[in-house]
Amino acid sequence: MTLASFWAHPSGSSQLITWLIIGLVAGIGLFFGIMNAPTRARRAIIGGFTFLAAFFYILLFAWPRPANVKPTDLPKDGVETVGFFLQDATTAFKDFGTIIPAFLLGLGVYSLLRVHLGKLVKKQRDWQFSVVLLVSLVSMATFGYWSWYIERFAEPQKDWADTATWGIAHKGRDFLFDGLLQQMDAAMFSIIAFFILSAAYRAFRIRSVEATIMLSIALIMMLNTMGIMQFWSNQLWDGIGNEFLKNLKLDEIANWLKNNMQVPSLRALEFGVAIGALAMAVRIWLNLEKSGVGS
Amino acid sequence: MQYYDTAWFGILVTFTLVFFITFNIRRSEKSSGNLFVRRIPGLNAIDEAIGRATEMGRPVLMVPGIGTLNAISVQAMNIFARVTQTAAKFGTPIRICIADAAVYTVGQEIIKDVYQREGQIERYDMDSVQFVSDRQFAFAAGVSGIIQREQCAATFFLGEFYAEALIFAESANAIGAIQVAGSTQVTQTPFFVAACDYVLIGDEFYAASAYLNRQPILVGSLIGQDWCKMLFYGFILFGILNLSVGRLMSVTERRDEKGEMVKLEKPEKMKNSDTFVHRMFNPDPYPADKEIERPQKPAEEAAAAGGGQ
Repeated sequence: MTLASFWAHPSGSSQLITWLIIGLVAGIGLFFGIMNAPTRARRAIIGGFTFLAAFFYILLFAWPRPANVKPTDLPKDGVETVGFFLQDATTAFKDFGTIIPAFLLGLGVYSLLRVHLGKLVKKQRDWQFSVVLLVSLVSMATFGYWSWYIERFAEPQKDWADTATWGIAHKGRDFLFDGLLQQMDAAMFSIIAFFILSAAYRAFRIRSVEATIMLSIALIMMLNTMGIMQFWSNQLWDGIGNEFLKNLKLDEIANWLKNNMQVPSLRALEFGVAIGALAMAVRIWLNLEKSGVGS
Repeated sequence: MQYYDTAWFGILVTFTLVFFITFNIRRSEKSSGNLFVRRIPGLNAIDEAIGRATEMGRPVLMVPGIGTLNAISVQAMNIFARVTQTAAKFGTPIRICIADAAVYTVGQEIIKDVYQREGQIERYDMDSVQFVSDRQFAFAAGVSGIIQREQCAATFFLGEFYAEALIFAESANAIGAIQVAGSTQVTQTPFFVAACDYVLIGDEFYAASAYLNRQPILVGSLIGQDWCKMLFYGFILFGILNLSVGRLMSVTERRDEKGEMVKLEKPEKMKNSDTFVHRMFNPDPYPADKEIERPQKPAEEAAAAGGGQ
């Protein structure tokens, strides 16, 4: 076995099955090892894994990537061997990232059940909302898995895109998901329009120099989106005929503000955020990031 | 093909930034982190907000955004750890609403750890860190409901927020809560500015833990970030000069769509894409149709190749 073929064993091959068994045993061993390790050792293990996982992505970023690779190619030298290995491993690493949070979702559901069953049992204030949540959780999961089971195992040959083939499971899922959940999502989203109005009203009240500048600029931007105002502005400045004064057209001013004020400010913020994220990532990678409370 | 392969440049810049950060962490450790950090009003307001919640006997609500477990949510939880530390001292109840199961588990550990360190473990309520939903607007509805029902006196919205940002901020404003917010999403920052009392803008969010804790590692990292910014100032200045001079010059040949150099009939003014800076940051991709001689897999292995290259 070469380094490059480590992640790419043929489907169903004995090597693949061997590595799957080794991985499973090592995973279970590691799980119980971490569970039973003292806190200090647990931190060291987690720190070590974090370092290795991040190191993989750093190597992937920095190592020369083999160009124009075909499925039948083998690496031609040592640099390419590592490059092939890293490229092949990317899919597996991404899968780790998908599988681990999927396990953790169970903990999220456990938290929901604990909080809301507790409320229900103790008949705390607003316990009725908890009943609605629990009923929704159970019914959505039931209809979701029921219809999935039918599509996948019971009657996989049917055309499930055709609504005429649907039974109770599919109709129930459709009602809960498209009929209720999506509509409620849309309703929450549309509430933002009203919140924008109330927030804008408070922000634009002229209380300071900054608020006045913000209000003026917002006014220019809003007027510029109105076709009739653009038309009048163009008529006015074109009518005067002076080339320099054409810079005072509404759309020219709005574009100038956008390109020379808004975009550079946002880019400056993005630079700052990106550097901050890099610093944070380096601290996590090198296990320098503690709980944040201080000693 | 271009004269130089410039793909190394981005890697070099990234490693230079990493060097600046680690070098300053080391430097700050030697000087015990006794370095100046400018005042950040949003972070000074934390104690004020918790004090108000304590006086009113209402909870402090914290939301680390709707992102997955990444540097942003870890940073948000670090700030919340500090908030919780103060709240634990005064016995102020806290609520942390989380939209991601991985962040939820990390959050629970961090908050429990805070109570333990403060010697207040009996005050720790497991339900104070709560997973609400991983759907954006279901989460928004759930958190708004908690804000309204529990009449939170202080709210902290720090992390990765999107369209739900304003729903939270306005719900909290409606009940008169004191609000400290900050988002790494620049598109949401204006909404927070409009609706909240204090806002952490841009990298102030990442500066927060250094500002609050003054740990040498964090302060050093912050100074490293400033060095990185200075490097970028230099790049911007160089880019402006290079582009300004370059645009005054002419070219006699230009790349076509395939990336091959083609002679022009007459000299033309440089475009942005002809300048040195553009070529530096946008190296030509390796020609897709160019064959590279490599050894081949054995026939049966090639036929059964499952995934990978």
